[in-house]
Amino acid sequence: MGTFIQLVIDGLSAGSIYGALALAIVLVNQATGLINFAQGGMAVLAAYFAYSFLQLGLPLILAILASVLASFVLGALIERFLMRRFEQGDPDTAVVVTIGLLTLITGICGWIWSYNNLQFPSLFPLQNINVLGAVVSIRSIGTTLVIVGIMVLLQLLFIGTKLGLALRAVAVNPQSAAFSGLPVGRLLMVGWGLAAGLGAIAGALIAPSLTLTPGMMDSALVYALAAVILGGLSSPIGVVVAAWLIGVLENLAAVYVPIIGFDLKIAVPFILIFIVLIVRPQGLFGRKDVVRV
Amino acid sequence: MTKPWVRWAGLLLVIVVLVVAPLVLPQFMNQTLARIGVFAVAVLGLNVVMGYTGQVSLGQIFFVGVGAYVTAYGVNNDWNIALVFILAALIPGIIGLLISLAAARLGGLAIAMVTIALPLIGVPLAKRLSDFTGGSQGSSARFSGAPEWTGLYDDQWQLYIVIAVAGVVFLLTRNLVRGKYGRAFAIVKGNEAVASSMGVSPYRYKVLAFTIASLIGGVSGFLYMVVVQYTSPETMSFGHSISLLAAMVIGGAGSILGSLLGGAYYVLAPQVTNAIDSSLTAVMQGAILLVILFVLPGGLVSLPRLWRRRKREGPGKPAAGSVAASADRSPTPTAPPETPTTEVQEKRQDT
Repeated sequence: MGTFIQLVIDGLSAGSIYGALALAIVLVNQATGLINFAQGGMAVLAAYFAYSFLQLGLPLILAILASVLASFVLGALIERFLMRRFEQGDPDTAVVVTIGLLTLITGICGWIWSYNNLQFPSLFPLQNINVLGAVVSIRSIGTTLVIVGIMVLLQLLFIGTKLGLALRAVAVNPQSAAFSGLPVGRLLMVGWGLAAGLGAIAGALIAPSLTLTPGMMDSALVYALAAVILGGLSSPIGVVVAAWLIGVLENLAAVYVPIIGFDLKIAVPFILIFIVLIVRPQGLFGRKDVVRV
Repeated sequence: MTKPWVRWAGLLLVIVVLVVAPLVLPQFMNQTLARIGVFAVAVLGLNVVMGYTGQVSLGQIFFVGVGAYVTAYGVNNDWNIALVFILAALIPGIIGLLISLAAARLGGLAIAMVTIALPLIGVPLAKRLSDFTGGSQGSSARFSGAPEWTGLYDDQWQLYIVIAVAGVVFLLTRNLVRGKYGRAFAIVKGNEAVASSMGVSPYRYKVLAFTIASLIGGVSGFLYMVVVQYTSPETMSFGHSISLLAAMVIGGAGSILGSLLGGAYYVLAPQVTNAIDSSLTAVMQGAILLVILFVLPGGLVSLPRLWRRRKREGPGKPAAGSVAASADRSPTPTAPPETPTTEVQEKRQDT
């Protein structure tokens, strides 16, 4: 029983990281209709920013906040000066542009900070506590709580504020939004900036356990994409729930299903996706896309 | 537009060059060209399902890997080489068929996510099935040495094999996408509702396109073994799958010539950037990709079109700024008008 609880809580913690990245992907997708493969790369860059701020002598929490701010600006700039050109065109081309961006950012990180593993301090103390007979690290619980907090904030932003309303309007129909006087371009920049900031938090949370390398987020990105599809592109809460589900199930499957084991646990989310999508093509929580012919 | 004899002469010239080139080029060039051929075929397969039919596939490299493994296994068990070739194409094709039977029910991004899983699961699976694949050591197969009677060097012989097989695959695919099936693919890509209202089942054609892409991927895997003679789980890694997708868009989606250019990009970009400065490879590759797409969103294959348009519009509009602007926008007014009208006409015929 102890192992079981430990696996579940570690799974929730890993799932929270995937969930944060998945939320960022959903934010961009809702605003611009494309999947940003560079989201993980941007998160890694943000973690390197935080690392550099730390080297400059800033305390950890301030360094992370500064990196979130820097990522927000960077995300907005990338939207304005790179992605803007591709948003109206062929979506396949836009996706490949984000792949190019991923390659470029990974390369820049490796060039400036080297490909060696760097130690990144944890925001939470490294002690373990006892929960119902299981040994659980405070870091796992802290990570999960931070993500829950961010999710609530995002939900408040989107439902409770004028900015959130405007962002949703742009996502639903950019043309109508422009006709009613919304600054669509600037809102898209805000959307990308928010996503990049969210990714920065994910990067800072995952960096201590994985150690900082340019390819740190590659597998997290894959899980995040899986969570996005599983949860449904239109549902932020659904995406986070799906990410938790993936984190927990793959941890459990790796230990309790011998044929899967640790090397094939990456198959778990995709088997799940396959089954879910055959039954519910719009994802667990998504709305069905209605297309006008 | 051009006179028929010009086209035939051009074709003849291409064939003569392809026959003579391997004999006169240095070994390194021959090997590079052979590898370009291998990946041009892989990109071509991806183009069938993605460029022509509009279904995002992130798993093409998986089928290349399966083709390579089947080839290695067959050769190491002394099967007839013709049988090995057929199996190397057929087994990936069957796997592709089975996957697409389920995946084609999904649309858009979901199909991308199912296919993204193929390389991700394929790599650990290949390591696990070590009896068949040689585990993470990989397996090698030497079968493509030049026979005595030809008097050729190995690299020349291998390039000839690649040219012959790739040539046939390109020709068959060109005929496929220009004919009845190509039109069906295009309408499925354009609008699935219109497709089904015209009696073209989107499901059936998606499955068909995906299966053909897997078949072609398998052939590419066979050629990979001819040239590289070694395969490991790394062959079908996720990174390669993404690069293949990038190569397709860089070359030009939905274009036969674009597939060839994409294959060239796939092989040459890492070689060139490595030669310049190996520590900056990733930076330069990313930058090159972004610059090409920024200047040519339609891929390399749209370069001559853009150039011709600028030349045509040059004398009529003296202002340089307006030329650049119209070159940017004119694809929309010139190309599409044909499609909507035909769609409307055909819909009317239906009712």
